[in-house]
Amino acid sequence: MIRVAQLGLGLAMAVIIWASFLWARPAQNFVGESSRIVFYHVPMAWVASVAFLLAAWHSAVFLKKRRMESDDAAAAAARLGFVFCVLATVTGSIFARVMWNAYWNWDPRETSIALLLLVYGAYLGLRGAIEDPERRATLAAAYALVAFATVPFLMFAVPRMYASLHPDTVINARGKVEMSADIRTVFFASSFAFLALFAWLFSLDRKVSRRLREARS
Amino acid sequence: MTERPARPGVFGAAAALFRKDLLSEWRTRVSTNALLLFAFAVLVLVGYAVGPASLSPEDRPTVHSVLLWIVLFFSAMTGLARAFVKEEDAGTAAALRLAAPPPAVLLGKLLSNLALLFVVTLFVVPVFLAMMSFELKSPALFLLLLLFGNLGLASACTFTAAIVAKASAKGTMFAVLAVPLLLPPLVGAVMGTRVAATETELSAGLDFVRLLVAYDGVVTTAAFLLFDAVWRE
Amino acid sequence: MDLVAENLTRSFGRRRVVGPLSFRVAPGRVLGVAGPNGSGKTTLVRTLAGLIRPTTGGVFLEDGDGRRSPRDAADAIGWVAPDLSLYGELTARENLQFFAKLHGRPAAPAWADEAIAGVGLDPARIAATPLHALSTGQRQRIKLVYATLHHPAVLFLDEPSSNLDDAGRAVVARVVAEQRTRGVAVVASNDAGDLALADERVTL
Repeated sequence: MIRVAQLGLGLAMAVIIWASFLWARPAQNFVGESSRIVFYHVPMAWVASVAFLLAAWHSAVFLKKRRMESDDAAAAAARLGFVFCVLATVTGSIFARVMWNAYWNWDPRETSIALLLLVYGAYLGLRGAIEDPERRATLAAAYALVAFATVPFLMFAVPRMYASLHPDTVINARGKVEMSADIRTVFFASSFAFLALFAWLFSLDRKVSRRLREARS
Repeated sequence: MTERPARPGVFGAAAALFRKDLLSEWRTRVSTNALLLFAFAVLVLVGYAVGPASLSPEDRPTVHSVLLWIVLFFSAMTGLARAFVKEEDAGTAAALRLAAPPPAVLLGKLLSNLALLFVVTLFVVPVFLAMMSFELKSPALFLLLLLFGNLGLASACTFTAAIVAKASAKGTMFAVLAVPLLLPPLVGAVMGTRVAATETELSAGLDFVRLLVAYDGVVTTAAFLLFDAVWRE
Repeated sequence: MDLVAENLTRSFGRRRVVGPLSFRVAPGRVLGVAGPNGSGKTTLVRTLAGLIRPTTGGVFLEDGDGRRSPRDAADAIGWVAPDLSLYGELTARENLQFFAKLHGRPAAPAWADEAIAGVGLDPARIAATPLHALSTGQRQRIKLVYATLHHPAVLFLDEPSSNLDDAGRAVVARVVAEQRTRGVAVVASNDAGDLALADERVTL
């Protein structure tokens, strides 16, 4: 069953990559073929945010129930979130170079993702600085939750005060998805595939952490 | 068993801890000296390198706002961790853990750090304004930003200090953990200060004050909710 | 209040340091904890005092009204250990006044002086001396006052006689005798004199 799901995900990814470059047509108002990055950049940014949400959720569960499995999950979400956050930053930066001629413009969205990177880095750094597993789990969970409470202030408060260069978000201010049918199909397929990829890696990471812990005790 | 007298409430215990910290600080002056000397060094550096004349008038509000908050932020980074690091390193944390309720410990330490931060602000701001010829069009807005900015700085730093006190590489970790938490209010405070330097109307920068007040409320609440887990693991 | 341990264990990472242990100590009784260095005496005491969580099992303070975790009853606990310090930059009197205030006890200077005299120190001579300038033995005596000033229901003494002279050991014996009238005492030590104060014994 799991083998079938993995095989399916691999095939779906292959089809999506093909479709993203060869089937979907480039969107209007974008330089050249640059709009194709939406199929990769946006799902990655979504996964990075979902992972942050998951890390905070499992941190809260850990503080409530004090089961190390929750700590494994929070750490796994943060590790993967960090990777996807780096990928989203790099792809966004490449797009920025093509569209606006500079890799980094301190656009509100770029600032937000830089902050998310900092939070992930700080969280993982803190985990590295504590020897005792239980203490590490507790302090990291507390930090993740405080960061979860403060990050939105940049994500939501500061960017809205200023105009952004960033293209309309997928669901734009008018509450509609304004994409041509072919782009929309590939985009949502890709988002789903990236989330599935994340879910798979997430469960793998948790499994590895649990086995490591069992081997030690 | 004999009837035991009631322990003081959170505020009473926090006040006792605050007074103890003030007395300790008065005896040793470690934190005040570190913060003030650091602030002084940075002020000299900034004043010498970016003095009032080297900037065009339209650049001044932006650059000065950024520099002022950088001085305050890094001063906080040098001194505020000590609130908890000193208790853990000196072996007094356990004594305190048994004697005072956790919220009182956080509140007492928050008050100590706030006092320290206001001492530094009282030193840095007048010197900075005079040295840089930084003119404020709306002093009221500026004072509000300083008040609520420092409150957020103290809250986030005090909570972070409680975490790093139990980690290794405390000095480095403190900055690493505090920066992501403090970026949002600092961005707001810098932008607000720029408005205070260019607009006479208080209302022009009230959005930034609101941002800071909301941040202070959220970060302080989160700190109180999570402190017990950190302090007593 | 009884001090109860049920299947108590404590591990650090992969290493189990304490347990499993079960016992009950009634008020008026003194439990001795013996064992060579590294056998987990200090960890056991810290776990019993609620300063660290048990890995499995539990510690309870139990009386007619029910049972509480020591973590929720810090006011009922007194604790002295080698790794406990009071504030070095403050005087003995200031330290005791601070902790008395936290416990809701009268904290007048005269009370503090009396308590200092009670452990065999001359309050007039050490009145203006910050704690870090006192000898280790003098500090140990002040720590004994810190641990008992709120009349705890359970008193934990980890190596209470370390750095103490004969007069100091007599102070420890008196502190334990007083604790018998108030509740439970736990003495963890390698010192035969300390362990002689105990009625029952756990050997780790």
